[in-house]
Amino acid sequence: MTDAIAVEGLGRRFGAFHAVRDVTFTVARGEIFGYLGANGAGKSTTIRILCGLLAPTAGRATVAGLDVAADPEGVKRRIGYMSQRFSLYPDLTVAENLDFFGGAYGFSGRALRRRIDAIVEETGLRALRDSATQSLPAGLQQRVALANALLHDPELLFLDEPTAGVDPASRREFLALVRRRVRRGATVFLTTHYMDEAEYCGRVGMMVDGRLAALGTPAELKQRLVPGDAWSVRSARRAELQAALAATDGVRAVHPHGAGFRVRCDPARLDGATLAARCREIDPAAELEPGTATLDDVFHAVVAGGGVA
Amino acid sequence: MSAPGRLRRFAIRTGAVAAKEATHAVRDPRTLYLALGMPVVLLVIFGFGISFDVEDVPIAVVDQDRTPDSRALERSLTTGHEFVVAARPDDPAEVDRLFRERTVSAALVVPRGFAREWAAGRRAPVQLLVDGSDGVGAQSVLGNASAALRAEGRRRLAAETGGAAAPLAAEVRLLFNPALRSAVFFVPGLIAYILYIVGVLLTALTIAREQERGNLEQLFATPVGRLEVMLGKLLPYLALGLLQALLVLAFGMAVFEMPLRGSLGVLGLGTLLFLAGALAQGLFISSVAGSQQVATQAGALSSLLPGVLLSGFVFPVENMPLLLRALASVFPARYYVDLLRGVMLRGNGFDALWGDFLGLGVFCLAAVALATLGFRRRLA
Ligand SMILES: Nc1ncnc2c1ncn2[C@@H]1O[C@H](COP(=O)(O)OP(=O)(O)OP(=O)(O)O)[C@@H](O)[C@H]1O
Ligand SMILES: [Mg+2]
Repeated sequence: MTDAIAVEGLGRRFGAFHAVRDVTFTVARGEIFGYLGANGAGKSTTIRILCGLLAPTAGRATVAGLDVAADPEGVKRRIGYMSQRFSLYPDLTVAENLDFFGGAYGFSGRALRRRIDAIVEETGLRALRDSATQSLPAGLQQRVALANALLHDPELLFLDEPTAGVDPASRREFLALVRRRVRRGATVFLTTHYMDEAEYCGRVGMMVDGRLAALGTPAELKQRLVPGDAWSVRSARRAELQAALAATDGVRAVHPHGAGFRVRCDPARLDGATLAARCREIDPAAELEPGTATLDDVFHAVVAGGGVA
Repeated sequence: MSAPGRLRRFAIRTGAVAAKEATHAVRDPRTLYLALGMPVVLLVIFGFGISFDVEDVPIAVVDQDRTPDSRALERSLTTGHEFVVAARPDDPAEVDRLFRERTVSAALVVPRGFAREWAAGRRAPVQLLVDGSDGVGAQSVLGNASAALRAEGRRRLAAETGGAAAPLAAEVRLLFNPALRSAVFFVPGLIAYILYIVGVLLTALTIAREQERGNLEQLFATPVGRLEVMLGKLLPYLALGLLQALLVLAFGMAVFEMPLRGSLGVLGLGTLLFLAGALAQGLFISSVAGSQQVATQAGALSSLLPGVLLSGFVFPVENMPLLLRALASVFPARYYVDLLRGVMLRGNGFDALWGDFLGLGVFCLAAVALATLGFRRRLA
């Protein structure tokens, strides 16, 4: 069986600026692929090329076996897409939005009704069918957008930062809906800023300045790029502590995270007790929490080190 | 996929766009006002405001002859409602001051010896002065006054020669507008102008708005084609436009006493073509403008200028220099003005108006084609 997505040497230039450069990867059928990167890294540009919305300027990409440059219309019929920008019609109700997108894919009459009934059931929107889309909170609006993208049962789903700006509970529900579709055989390509979200992905690709800087399963990436221990540290004297630890022997990396920062060390040279003691020398009130490396640590390592694919 | 299947999908997708667009329109009070409120407001304002029916124009009479004949001439001007005598200076030089102070808009100067020359059957010169600073008004004043004077001349000629060969003024305007009521002549131009500008503005925002809101990217990701988007957007506004045209035409007939001497079918078909062309022009602007602001300005300009200046509404197209005449032929307004005058005032049918139908049809097709081609379904 061929891959759901196959990308080879893909590039896109805007004038002299390379938004995407020499990107190569494949996504297997039934996989959730996470595409990570900072603002402007080239995530949306890649996803637009794969959806047949933007022509590539280098390389090639096939989606569901179709070349995106040669047959963008064929690609469009097989995929569902949720763009990064809010893409519903705010003055229409949930049902009217679904009616429109269903019609856009060529469904009408009873077939359309059946699909809409099924999708509002699946996404838990039945009670909101007649609500104006603009009156819904962000989390529900994203769910309506997902329902629109799923209405025609696409074999591939492209989601561009679908959960940006949405509360954690809604994010979890949203991802649960997506995973249910994957269990039914769909393939998902998802871009995100949230590293915890990426943990759910079968494989992830990390984009840095238009290049694919790392590619693999979350476990592989962690093992290869951030081996050893990782700690979360909170301290009122954060800057001072960070600087001191960065200069300590056996510390591999220090980077800010949330209200505190993360420290990764080589367990052979620096054990937990020594690290804790070193912290307390500077701030006796510092809190340390041991843990394993996360994708966030991987991402910082990739950005700092230029990455290893 | 089979051909009927493709056609069916084309219809479904076009219908989906049309239904969505219709919902937008009926939910948006601004669209409804623009389509159904503003045209009537414009018609009332312009209809009465530039009602070129000049009445009770103040006139100065300088009667240096002071004979029954000269007084009869003066009466011929004032028996209608067109003129009222506002001043009777003795000195013709006074007239200049009266014009400057805007006390009068016209002046009649009857020189000494007028009655004598007239009785002797020689040319009896009288002077008619009209304030030309209000161009359109002046033309009406001039028209009214010269018509009255000519009529008086004919009356006397007829009286003297016993009703033989009275000279006939062969002016086209007089033929179809015998009461010399200018409203009847100008209202078709006004209707065309209003339907044109409102038609273009109705659709000028639709695509630009979707572009600004980010809806277009999502739309491009679906299999909906360019022509399906264009036709889907055109259809609901065409229905709204026809309602608007009905309103405006009915209002014009009721309030300005416009006749409808030709067939309603000819009028309806011509109006349909004209509206479709105007709406497609708006769609074209919207698809290339990129923002709602640019689209509004381009929409207003591209309909206002041809609608007023190149339509024959105010200035007859036949009298324009070649270049302007060629430009006027591009826009649909002049064909529709001509068609309205033809079907409403003259009672013309297809046989006389086929040229207008051709002009309207070609513009409509060209505008739909341009809008479709100008609409890029890819980003950047
Ligand atoms: N149409 C365009 N013309 C010129 N430059 C563009 C265009 N589209 C994107 N870019 C540039 O390409 C780069 C990559 O943009 P892209 O939208 O792919 O980033 P992203 O990873 O999706 O970022 P974000 O997280 O902000 O969504 C950016 O620097 C952007 O300014
Ligand atoms: Mg993006």
